[in-house]
Amino acid sequence: MSEAYFPVGPGLGLEENFLSLDDILMSQEKLPGRAESTLPPLTFALGQGVSTGDSIPEGSKLEIPLWLAKGLYESKRRIISVELPKIYKEAWRTVFSADASVVDLHKMGPYYYRFGSQLLNFDNPENPEIAQTILQTFISRFRRIMDSSQNAYNEDASALVARLDELERALFRAGQKELNDFQCWEKGQASQITASSLVQNYGKRKFTDMDG
Amino acid sequence: MAGERAAELVRELHRAAGGHLPPFRAEGLRQTLEEMRVLYERNQADVSEAKSGRTDLIFLVRFRHCCLLRNQRCILAYLYDRLLRIRALRWEYGSVLPNTIQFHMSAEEVEWFNRYKKSLATYMRSVGGEEGLDLTQDIKPPKSLYIEVRCLRDYGEFEIDDGTTILLKKNSQHFLPRWKCEQLIRQGVLEHILS
Amino acid sequence: MEPAEAEFLAEKELVTIVPNFSLDRIHLIGGDLGPFNPGLPVEVPVWLAINLKQRQKCRLIPPEWMDVEKLEEIRDQERKEDTFTPMPSPYYMELTKLLLNYASDNIPKADEIRTLVKDTWDTRIAKLRLSADSFVRQQEAHAKLDNLTLMEINTTGTFLTQALNHMYKLRTNLQPGESAHSQDF
Repeated sequence: MSEAYFPVGPGLGLEENFLSLDDILMSQEKLPGRAESTLPPLTFALGQGVSTGDSIPEGSKLEIPLWLAKGLYESKRRIISVELPKIYKEAWRTVFSADASVVDLHKMGPYYYRFGSQLLNFDNPENPEIAQTILQTFISRFRRIMDSSQNAYNEDASALVARLDELERALFRAGQKELNDFQCWEKGQASQITASSLVQNYGKRKFTDMDG
Repeated sequence: MAGERAAELVRELHRAAGGHLPPFRAEGLRQTLEEMRVLYERNQADVSEAKSGRTDLIFLVRFRHCCLLRNQRCILAYLYDRLLRIRALRWEYGSVLPNTIQFHMSAEEVEWFNRYKKSLATYMRSVGGEEGLDLTQDIKPPKSLYIEVRCLRDYGEFEIDDGTTILLKKNSQHFLPRWKCEQLIRQGVLEHILS
Repeated sequence: MEPAEAEFLAEKELVTIVPNFSLDRIHLIGGDLGPFNPGLPVEVPVWLAINLKQRQKCRLIPPEWMDVEKLEEIRDQERKEDTFTPMPSPYYMELTKLLLNYASDNIPKADEIRTLVKDTWDTRIAKLRLSADSFVRQQEAHAKLDNLTLMEINTTGTFLTQALNHMYKLRTNLQPGESAHSQDF
């Protein structure tokens, strides 16, 4: 990991971080919606499924990226309505409250917490339950993430990491870095000056360029 | 779909992990700006129509406006994150970047790097007494003034403190002042050997 | 903070050495050191002690607590208590490593000491994990971290503060209203 590159971190909650690449990719994720009145042709915008030049009839199902849904949403005058993706619906919330640790949040997400928090921007009667479930899920998965990322007698954690959502993965990496730094220190290697990872990357690239 | 090209710029940059700098995508940027120009012009036209009674256009105007803002955000985030990576290069690589890295930068980015380099140098001259202070040195607390290093590739002649020069030849080992070789270690020319 | 930086701070701690050379008092930014007389114990910072030891210019007298009996007591106390017991030095881990690495010939039962300190450390880190988990589980707002040392805090500081940050924000989600309508586009 580079020691001098600190990217703009993502937000968590109702607000995104404007310059965060993570948040831009998160808000690129789509959610199901519905046209509440006839919409003008948006082929340019919504791509396949809507045939060229036709307007979109009322009641049509839409797949809308979060950023657009947020931009078009108005609580008073509904032009489009937004539905909950299934993992935030009641059936899944029950699963989460039973045992959140078994769920593959990467497959279901991969931005379970951040995307879920963003959904609270849309007035939905289930919002309090969604917020509660997200929080409880984090709490009940916390211990395993901490233990596996900071366990000195490292077993292979890749099976666990594969099932973590993006926020959990970043947390896992932070824990692992602390463990590695400490182990390095114990072995007496902490004072060693090492090559920058930025440089190593370019080195590799150079060789492949020369091969090709 | 609108905003897709801009999102692709962000996606590619995000994939380049650990602060690595991928090639500058001038064409992607140009196409995004062109998309924004078209969106803006159509909106200009439709806004005046909407004002004169075509309220059915309001949704479309709003929609295009969202796309414009989205594109703007993607571009700004793309350029800003690249600057963060380029700034990191100054700290980890030094003030002269090899061609392989410069090829990945736009002319404006090279210019920005040069200005950053100058501001940093001016600042470093102003702190730490008369001779200034090189803040990029001793990133880790130093243990001793001299360290043992091994040369990882042929580098050529290298001048040390007392004015003498030594030859940095692949696999040769040297005992050098730490401050003289820290940067070469970070560049991958030398390897720090712990006793 | 990195472990190397914590160790750097630990190197300012004072230890007693018995020099085998003479030198007048020396004046440094951090304070005066010496004078040094052969056979007369004198207090110096760890960094200097190590430097002199490496050059065989002194013998090190280990800190009082670096003793098998005392450390056994500390370890047992640590295992018995639920909370963190006070450590004999805020840099007990760093000093153990530094002094045992460079002056083990001056420290009786060096290997046993190493094991005892490591056992105490492991007990404390396990406690730290346990309390971090219950802190999160019970959604507490504050915790007492008395008697924890810098190096200990460092092994989990980033992880824990990041996790608590997430949790704080996820809890803020539970209170709709204030910011719900600030999303103007």
